[in-house]
Amino acid sequence: MVLIDILISGLILGGMYALVAMGLTLQYGVARILNLAYGEVLIASAFATYVLYTGFAISPLLGLLIVLPLAFAANWLIYRVMLTPLVKRARNRVTLEIDSILATFGLLFVLQGIAFVVFGGQYYSYSYLSVPLHLGGSIVSVNRLLALGFAAALGIALYLALTRTRSGTAIRAVAVDPTSAQLVAINVRRVAGFAFALGGAMCAAGGVLTSMFLTFNAAMGVVFTMKALIVVIMGGVGNLLGALLAGLLLGLIETFVARLVDPGLTLAANFALFLAVLLIRPQGLLGRRAS
Amino acid sequence: MLEIRHLSVSYGQHRALADIVLTANRGEIVVILGANGAGKSTLLKAVAGLVSAAAGASVRIRDRELAGDEPHRIVEAGIALVPEGRGIFGDLTVRENLQLGAYAARARDDEARNHARVLALFPRLAERMSQTARTMSGGEQQMLAIGRALMSSPEFLLLDEPSLGLSPLVCRELFAALKEIGASGIGVLLVEQNAKQSLAIAQRGYVIETGRITLAGKSEMLRADPAVQRAYLGAAGAASSTDTPSTD
Repeated sequence: MVLIDILISGLILGGMYALVAMGLTLQYGVARILNLAYGEVLIASAFATYVLYTGFAISPLLGLLIVLPLAFAANWLIYRVMLTPLVKRARNRVTLEIDSILATFGLLFVLQGIAFVVFGGQYYSYSYLSVPLHLGGSIVSVNRLLALGFAAALGIALYLALTRTRSGTAIRAVAVDPTSAQLVAINVRRVAGFAFALGGAMCAAGGVLTSMFLTFNAAMGVVFTMKALIVVIMGGVGNLLGALLAGLLLGLIETFVARLVDPGLTLAANFALFLAVLLIRPQGLLGRRAS
Repeated sequence: MLEIRHLSVSYGQHRALADIVLTANRGEIVVILGANGAGKSTLLKAVAGLVSAAAGASVRIRDRELAGDEPHRIVEAGIALVPEGRGIFGDLTVRENLQLGAYAARARDDEARNHARVLALFPRLAERMSQTARTMSGGEQQMLAIGRALMSSPEFLLLDEPSLGLSPLVCRELFAALKEIGASGIGVLLVEQNAKQSLAIAQRGYVIETGRITLAGKSEMLRADPAVQRAYLGAAGAASSTDTPSTD
């Protein structure tokens, strides 16, 4: 009973982590931008969903059709305007990483500041389809299940797009070897910008879906950035299946610890798992050691 | 015709290439000989746009100026580079590597035909389509690298030391394939340590020493040149030497 409860809650939470981490692994693995403002994009999408639902009676799921394209465009613009100059002047991957960390660290505070001005510091939530559903002896609300279903659908769609189409294969090629990608006529900077925008849209999807069942406030972005980062590194940078696996694992362990040990220890459990992976498999669960 | 003029490249203070003038025609194999560090790789990289040439350089194909263009646009113009170390996508399958070879807009119309041509040239790739590229032997990876370059429908194929690290047997196969590629109407610019085998399939050649072209001419002429024999063909032993690549 408790176990099924934990399993369902853990999978729902893990599914959100996996979706959000898939977006970050696109930004970090393909565009080589370590985006510290990633969680702010998620929170911004949650607020957008809130406004659409409470102000315009547009349901969160319909809201995806508005928020995702907007997030894609906004992230593309961030890459073009703010990050392209850094990419152009970076001599190698390390300098780009340092520059992008500093730049997106600044962006974090800009976005967070705007969110504080508009929404203040209090917590927000709305009630959408919070109908209890009996499932294998435990109770889950419909909105959580819907969120998990949509996360799974988006994750699968992204995976298929990246593995079954030429454009998707080109994105993976840039992740594997940007220099060689140029030699097969791939415009690396354009593909990187596209991957960054696509990652931002996945992040926004995570924001929309989590806002359906979690309370949120303007300061919470950094928590999601941290968790997404842990998942990405645990799964292996640039590895979509690794992000999926690590995300689910993190959600399950977090729920398990919160229910059976102590809710105050979830963050500690997260980082214990993260440290264990770093010590035992530094290349990530599904990552390959650089040759 | 591929026409290179006044091509100079510097890495900081160090001048790697000085005023290179070189031409190659379609259907012709041109070999570039030189010691390690002479600037051979830099020459190919500069033509492919991977390193930038000093002002005043000109790289023309069909009267189109390519100097200063980005690498992906140079591929679109019809020049494909097989870099040293092959540059294949190790984590992707053979099929995906070949598919990406035809990523260029110029390659889309002829994709099926080029695919068939590559598999006819390297039948072994056909058996390995779903294999991850990194898990193949060195020779197979080299074939894939050349096959991927051919998928872009190039007018000129640039190869940087394709025989490096391959066994004599695989080497012979490789040079036979290059000869066939040249005969099919593609211009081949070949940088090689293996002077003997590359001069055997090439029509013309250039010798580069410390960034400058010191000798140019037909293959027979280069083969007969005492300096070339001494430096690249193993001097007096040339007459009795085997096909083993000289890795010195």
